[in-house]
Amino acid sequence: MVQVMNPSPSLPNYPSRRSVLKGAAGVAIAAPLLSACVTSGSNDDKPAASTGDKSADNPLGVKDDAPLEVVIFKGGYGDDYAKHAEDLYKGKHTKATIDHKGIQKVGEALQPRFVANTPPDVVDNTGAGRLDLATLVSAKQLSDLTELLDAPSFDDPGTKVRDTLLPGVVDDGTFDKQVLTLNFTYTVWGLWYSKPLFASKGWAYPKTWDEMLALCATIKAAGIAPWTYQGKYPEYMNDPLLTMAAKIGGEALLKSVDNLEPNAWKADGLKAAAEAFAELAAKGYIMSGSEALSHTESQAAWCQGKAAFIPCGSWLESEQKGVAPNGFDMVMGPVPSRTGSDKMGGAAVQAASSESYIVPSKAKNVAGGMEYLRILFSKQSAKSFAQSAGTLPAVAGATDGLTLSSGLGSTRDAITAAGKEAFSFKFRTWYAPLAKAVDDATGELVNKRATAAEWADRVQKAADALAKDSGVKKYTR
Amino acid sequence: MKHGRLRFLVGALVPALVLHVLFVLSPYAQAFYLSLTDWTGVAGEAHFVGAGNYARLGGDSLFLDAVRNNAIMLVVVPVVTIGLGLFLASMLHLGGRDGRRGIAGTRVYQIVYFFPQLLSLVIVAVLWQFIYNPNNGLLNGALRAAGLGSAARSWLAEPNLALPAVMAVLVWSSAGFYMVLFSAAIDSIPKELFEAALLDGASGWATFRKVTLPLVRDTVQVAFVYLGIAALDGFAVVQVMTVGPGGPDGATEVIGLSLYRNAFTYGKFGYASAMGVALFFATLTLAVLALRAGRKERVELA
Amino acid sequence: MTLASLERTAPVSAPPRPARPRARVGEVLPHIAMLCWGVVTALPLLWAVMSSFKTDNDILNDPWSVPSRPHFENWSRAWNQADIGRYFLNSLIVVGGALLLTMLLGALVAYALARYEFRGNRLIYYTFVAAMFFPVFLALVPLFFVVQQLHLLGTYQGLILVYAAYAVPFTVFFLHAFFRTLPNEVAEAAFMDGCSHAGVFFRVMLPMARPGLVAVGIFNFLGLWNQYLLPLVLNPDPDRYVLAQGLASLSVSQGYRSDWSGLFAGLTIAMLPVLIAYVAFQRHIRAGMTAGAVK
Repeated sequence: MVQVMNPSPSLPNYPSRRSVLKGAAGVAIAAPLLSACVTSGSNDDKPAASTGDKSADNPLGVKDDAPLEVVIFKGGYGDDYAKHAEDLYKGKHTKATIDHKGIQKVGEALQPRFVANTPPDVVDNTGAGRLDLATLVSAKQLSDLTELLDAPSFDDPGTKVRDTLLPGVVDDGTFDKQVLTLNFTYTVWGLWYSKPLFASKGWAYPKTWDEMLALCATIKAAGIAPWTYQGKYPEYMNDPLLTMAAKIGGEALLKSVDNLEPNAWKADGLKAAAEAFAELAAKGYIMSGSEALSHTESQAAWCQGKAAFIPCGSWLESEQKGVAPNGFDMVMGPVPSRTGSDKMGGAAVQAASSESYIVPSKAKNVAGGMEYLRILFSKQSAKSFAQSAGTLPAVAGATDGLTLSSGLGSTRDAITAAGKEAFSFKFRTWYAPLAKAVDDATGELVNKRATAAEWADRVQKAADALAKDSGVKKYTR
Repeated sequence: MKHGRLRFLVGALVPALVLHVLFVLSPYAQAFYLSLTDWTGVAGEAHFVGAGNYARLGGDSLFLDAVRNNAIMLVVVPVVTIGLGLFLASMLHLGGRDGRRGIAGTRVYQIVYFFPQLLSLVIVAVLWQFIYNPNNGLLNGALRAAGLGSAARSWLAEPNLALPAVMAVLVWSSAGFYMVLFSAAIDSIPKELFEAALLDGASGWATFRKVTLPLVRDTVQVAFVYLGIAALDGFAVVQVMTVGPGGPDGATEVIGLSLYRNAFTYGKFGYASAMGVALFFATLTLAVLALRAGRKERVELA
Repeated sequence: MTLASLERTAPVSAPPRPARPRARVGEVLPHIAMLCWGVVTALPLLWAVMSSFKTDNDILNDPWSVPSRPHFENWSRAWNQADIGRYFLNSLIVVGGALLLTMLLGALVAYALARYEFRGNRLIYYTFVAAMFFPVFLALVPLFFVVQQLHLLGTYQGLILVYAAYAVPFTVFFLHAFFRTLPNEVAEAAFMDGCSHAGVFFRVMLPMARPGLVAVGIFNFLGLWNQYLLPLVLNPDPDRYVLAQGLASLSVSQGYRSDWSGLFAGLTIAMLPVLIAYVAFQRHIRAGMTAGAVK
């Protein structure tokens, strides 16, 4: 899902997974490298690395005069933030020369370099034309970033880099127990509403599902549809549903679902969440017609005040720029708790990182590449990114003290409130066909064509079929 | 001269043949081989799996949905389109005095009717997506304005309406073209036949049935083949317009979409190729059947 | 299909009409039927054009409303910001290149096969023509890898070559019959005058085949201009999107933000050139259709 990263250069901040078109673009570039890398062999001999002496001030042992080559995906966020980090790098390693490239087609430009074993030192591997990660991983083209994670952070020598990152970032970059990529941006999912609208009507954001249902009755009585959703892409409704389920069932539920365990989808948590959304539909709390609306259409209807809530990720605010009227001031809240005995707290959110940085293992200046990431992921660099891009970086506290727009501020607050309880499902990235099965089932559920039990049955069947399929590579968490 | 002849022939044929073999024939040939492997796009990792992919097709409920939908489209789209095209062409000529000449405004009609055929199906699909919008689309807007608000629907989101809605778009986009095609065929019927019919005192309708229809049969047959092939596709419209796409819940899934998703989203290139081969045989069967049927009819006529 | 049929039908689009004594009752029904389908056909298109002049709010709130004033800025926004201009240019380059290549190769092959007897003639002909009936979907996956291995993925050259490769069969099929009907005498006279084979083709036969070339050229243009599947797979780079691709991605992802009026403007911009080309060339198209259909 989110790991799919920015699907195309023209889409700045959508870690979305909504379009076949974009999916195609991603896989399309996957192939070229495959042949190249796999055949180029994967001997582990270290490149003629230029490393200096390690010290407290230079924990990664960067050779001061070693040149550094940085390749940045120049998409919706631009590449000024990366240049800013380069300036910081030069401030520290004064003799270094930096070769900066801001490009759109990372795969096209770098594939030959990987084949020739002369890759750059650090790469922002993002966008429609990115390199395929799985291939790079299997061809052993990526440096293990453990050393970087355990190094002291740039701003605070007392804290390891690992501990400055938001929850899940390290997991998102882990392949077979090795951390090989580091994602720079962070996305949170929740329910969105207009703060002034709620204030003027005296509606309080619900903390529990019962409160939600009660509030929906009030909203409906006021002549507004309580919910709408991006019906053309039912996956949007999966996010709150699965978030609720994970909150009920906790870590165990996440694991059993992602590991394709038998009867995982029939767990109480999932059943209860499916029932909740079936009830939302049964009570007529979803705006009629939503089921056929695209994301933009439903979001526009919501901005026009035709519906009170809409589920979405943190990119919604920038997507609705120009559509949301002045003073709409959208904010995001966490999905309400289903029961009082949920395994996770009410503030828990689904979140994940994207925009992935890699340090090629055959790079001339591996230490420099990691040092660059240490600087890029520092608070001061991340802060300048948040300001210019209007998107949360994956660094904890990066937006502290900044004046943020209502939406961005609310997502920041949601992450802070969630603390360690920020989680994500992996099956969407690991097993796309299962994701499709869940999407279809959820579409049926919230359109009253399937009951919660039928929903669980069909998804379980799809998961079982996948588990049995020896042709599909399995992952575990 | 002999030498010049050979050189000219080589020069004329070879470039096109190279292109043809490279980009057309070799991909088709490779597809047959790939369909017997489990290739995922990784070089050197294709394993021969025999008929495994084909066996799997039978258990893929989404693919079976696609086959069912394509089969329905294969019957409905050509029949409705050709029926409508013939009806309109006959209207055009019925109005004329001798069963052949058009009614007033024929030229304008023929130009306007042709328009949708000129547009990419993608553009047509984008347009109709707005028309079908349940809340502010043209169709429901028209129904409500006409006081038929109760007939307004979520056209693309109701499982039993979505496929008809898709087929309607396909018919809309090509009916006018076939109307022009048929009326051109009618135009090319020798004038004497109509005059003879007129002299016999045949009505316009009888003329159409007895003279026109038999003589445009060949054209209709060609139309069936082309429309059939188009109905086996349907990819662009479904992919752009429908819920999911291909939904709700597989209601508008087509083979092309399944193939595309499996290949380019799931990376199951071998399996997707098996779908392509299945589609190939479906198309081939269709073409052979249609041409056979045509031949038989012609024999009966003779 | 014969040259004669082309010549015969071309003028029919403007039939000579004798004085009409009076409207018959029997004409009312046809008129109503024609008018109905005319409305069904034209209305969505007019609606798209009209919507391209409206504001987003007008579009969202009242689909039938007339624009308060013509918002031309939608067009400039679509052209510039939504990159319709760039897509348009890409389409022009790719389709223009492919059309030239298709016509040249197709005419050469059709002519060589139609006018020269040699071993393998029929085989080559059927090799080309059979490809017309293969579903492109079957070739899609391997084609992607072929193009990729030639390092032509996402390039103009790659698209042009593939477009041409897939348009040549129809062109050969269409022109083959056409060249067969051309009279022998002129060619023979040219040979007598010492023209080379290529000279005869380019100076004598090609000009004689003009009506057929125009007709098949128009069909090819329409087909290529509307291509979607091939660029979708072979042209993953958003900078090189062709019009159909760009519009699809605009409608599915709509880029940075929602922009309905811009999308309608983009739709209109994409529709206009083909509609204008059609109105300008419609006589040729109808002639070509008759030629192709009646055979």
